[in-house]
Amino acid sequence: MSDVLIASRAPGADLSVPGASGARQFWRRLRAQRAALVAAGAVAALVLVALAAPLLTAVEGQDPTTYHPDLVDSARGGVPVGPFGGAGGEHWLGVEPQTGRDLFARLVYGARVSLGVALAATVVQIVIGVAVGVAAALGTHWADQLLSRFTDVIVAMPLMIMSLALLAIVPSSFPRPVLVALVIGLIAWGNIAKIVRAQTLTLKGLDHVAAARLSGWGGWRIARRELLPGLAAPVITYAAILVPQNITVEAALSFLGVGVKPPTPSWGQMLTAADVWYQAAPQYLLLPAGALFVTVLALTVLGDGVRTALDPRAASRLRVGTGRRREAASEGSGGTDPEGPGGAEPEGPGGAERPGGAERGGAV
Amino acid sequence: MRRSSVTARRLAAVSVSLAVAAGAVACGPEDNDARTASGGASAKPAKGGTLTVLNSDPQQDFDPARLYTSGGGNVPSLVFRTLTTRNREDGAKGAEVVPDLATDTGRPSENATVWTYTLKEGLKYEDGSAITSADIKYGIERSFAAELSGGAPYLRDWLIGGADYQGPYKDEKGLDSIGTPDERTIVFRLNKPEGEFPYLATQTQFAPVPKAKDTGTKYEEHPVSSGPYKVVSNENDGERLVLARNTHWSASTDAERKAYPDRIDVRSGLDSSVINQRLSSSQGADAAAVTTDTNLGPAELAKVSGDEELAARVGTGHFGYTNYIAFNPKVKPFDDPKVRQAISYAVDRSSVVNAAGGSSLAEAATTYLPNQKSFGHTPYDHFPAGRSGNPAKAGELLKEAGHANGLTVTLTHSNAKDFETSPEIATAIQDALKKAGITVKLQGLEDNDYKDRIHDAKTEPGFFLAHWGADWPSGGPFLAPIFDGRQIVEDGANFNTGFLDDKSVNAEIDAINKLTDLDEAATRWGALDKKIGERALTVPLFHPVYKRLYGKDVKNIVISDWTGVLDISQVAVK
Repeated sequence: MSDVLIASRAPGADLSVPGASGARQFWRRLRAQRAALVAAGAVAALVLVALAAPLLTAVEGQDPTTYHPDLVDSARGGVPVGPFGGAGGEHWLGVEPQTGRDLFARLVYGARVSLGVALAATVVQIVIGVAVGVAAALGTHWADQLLSRFTDVIVAMPLMIMSLALLAIVPSSFPRPVLVALVIGLIAWGNIAKIVRAQTLTLKGLDHVAAARLSGWGGWRIARRELLPGLAAPVITYAAILVPQNITVEAALSFLGVGVKPPTPSWGQMLTAADVWYQAAPQYLLLPAGALFVTVLALTVLGDGVRTALDPRAASRLRVGTGRRREAASEGSGGTDPEGPGGAEPEGPGGAERPGGAERGGAV
Repeated sequence: MRRSSVTARRLAAVSVSLAVAAGAVACGPEDNDARTASGGASAKPAKGGTLTVLNSDPQQDFDPARLYTSGGGNVPSLVFRTLTTRNREDGAKGAEVVPDLATDTGRPSENATVWTYTLKEGLKYEDGSAITSADIKYGIERSFAAELSGGAPYLRDWLIGGADYQGPYKDEKGLDSIGTPDERTIVFRLNKPEGEFPYLATQTQFAPVPKAKDTGTKYEEHPVSSGPYKVVSNENDGERLVLARNTHWSASTDAERKAYPDRIDVRSGLDSSVINQRLSSSQGADAAAVTTDTNLGPAELAKVSGDEELAARVGTGHFGYTNYIAFNPKVKPFDDPKVRQAISYAVDRSSVVNAAGGSSLAEAATTYLPNQKSFGHTPYDHFPAGRSGNPAKAGELLKEAGHANGLTVTLTHSNAKDFETSPEIATAIQDALKKAGITVKLQGLEDNDYKDRIHDAKTEPGFFLAHWGADWPSGGPFLAPIFDGRQIVEDGANFNTGFLDDKSVNAEIDAINKLTDLDEAATRWGALDKKIGERALTVPLFHPVYKRLYGKDVKNIVISDWTGVLDISQVAVK
């Protein structure tokens, strides 16, 4: 229980300990959560599908842009011919109304855009957020004030409106998916910077950092060797939350017509085109909506699992299959936790108890 | 000359889109199938009841000087009678111009530069006072006032002294080119022959306005009615407009308007899907409802066509309108006719029609002029692409033009969700041209930006989607603004996007404008269109078809080719 106690004082400190024990512990905790495992499987499958999009469509014998005017009923507004939107051996998930383009091909190619843009945007957000957060925490008072206020301004900016404005003014010759990723990344890094700054300030006061400073290490070396490993847990956790958020933002931007441009398929764009078809060709709307739903849910559950595994004291608000229900029930009956099971603050005596409970519950 | 031709043409540009909206107002699908006749629509119409109009766009600036209409509009035509009006009949007959306040459609003299009208006897306003020719002159003069702008540019362009006239508030003397020798006679003197003047006289600027009742910019709140209905209330600049019977209107002087309902309740600001949903459920007051501006979209049509009861309540109409690809021959490689022809051959009209909503909402076009008799439609297909394109022929032409290894071009379009110049159409063209070895990059612009760019000679793209609708159903307002070389505007709104300035074309336009026999003029416009088509400055894509739902208690559906939409002056709800 001692390593857990250390972890409670210095979140993520278990990872800073060289050797395999931290990583092993992480995997053990992650494995213990069935929902997270299922979600990880789903995410892996989605990534595979996105990567193998050309292969999958080649197996199907279709591509995402070819028109099939003969597969839609022109006199009836272009509704697909046949039941279930024309689904069958030729077109696995049917065809798009009006154009007759293959829906399976558009869906799997759309996954590339949705996942690719979201991941790239997350990387941009983390790089900026960590750089600004660490610089603010380690810098002088004035640098901290300046960077923190700037971060406040960024956080206060409405993401959708800013993105709409930025995407509208950039010339259309700029590669669109890259642009969308950049715009999301450049606008929505404020929260991660705030978290990193707070975490760095906490770490700065710890004995091993103080010891490093007393040994005469420079700021850069301290940041790299002593602080960054301690930041890994909150950053990875937050990244896991950001990815699904970014997917929905990309979908929303494409839905509004400023995201990726046709004929490049994206889920958001498919939703825009499909919203009027919900009665006449429901599968056209349900496919991208379902894909988006499954992806965001899987990433969110996985992100929550990662967070629990890295920093078990921060109890999950999601109680899906994390085995925490039992734990919460037992805690509730014991009445030993003044904060309640949902308390996300790392401090407090209740926090130290919880990880053990999570492990116990999950291992059953 | 403050208001230059540039201003006028800007108005013309606005007019095109408004004309479409107005066309919607005047909706009147030709009763295309027996289903309509078998429904409630066939029952004998009777007077009474309230007709509800569910619209997306409000009846803004409800002042006859400010309205930009095709044929006097749909709702406006219930309140404002004009010298002439459109024939309220189904189909092609409805594209004819007929007398309204006047006894005939106008008597031309002096080579069609002078037009004389005589008013019918016994014409009255809503207050019972008599309508005189001086009131019509005053109504037209008001439309020249800067504060009452909005109407079509023709009066300013055609009337002698029109270009400099500032309106009656600044210049009380009035326009000398409009004479009123007596109370029932009015004479127009034009600066050039205009055989189509009777069509212009259908616009609301030709409605009488009593000078004593003119309240300037406030007149739109309660314009004095000369038609079967008067304004009871007008909320939020035409968002809700309630009309009631004008008891001084007499059917004996008006052969066109039937005026069955006692009240008309126009409710605007509704979302198009809400309008169609309310019309399809047709409950309560919506059973006696129509729309004058909202079509069925492709998805809605797919749903409606699967339901017999709903399908019987769809009116189908044709408005003179063409969607096409436009080229700017000043931009390479579109300076080469072979490239333009290759694209003409490569276009797949069946996928374009599908993108526009399918064969029920669009008809493939190979002519620039709409496929209607009144336009003088003369069939031609100079670069036959068949139903789905001829990429082989296109490839040959490209090779001859020196693009044997393919060609990469940029197609500019709007991002409006209108199924006309929208991304769906652009991607359909992109896919078709790929088969001919032409790589198309898409440049989608915000709708206002797109309109500004394509109508500015300096920023006009080389290859873009465009559309054009006429102010009245004739070849004149369709061909002249686009192909008359003297209408090229170097700085300002330019509609001659192909920069065609051909002496023989210009001369033929002048010659046709002199004709007062509109049938003969139509034939000549058709022939001119065929001749211009050889230059491949445009690739006609499709003519839209309007499908509109109406409530289950609505009877007497009349849809003319002039407007393509149900005519509410004919509708009965009892």
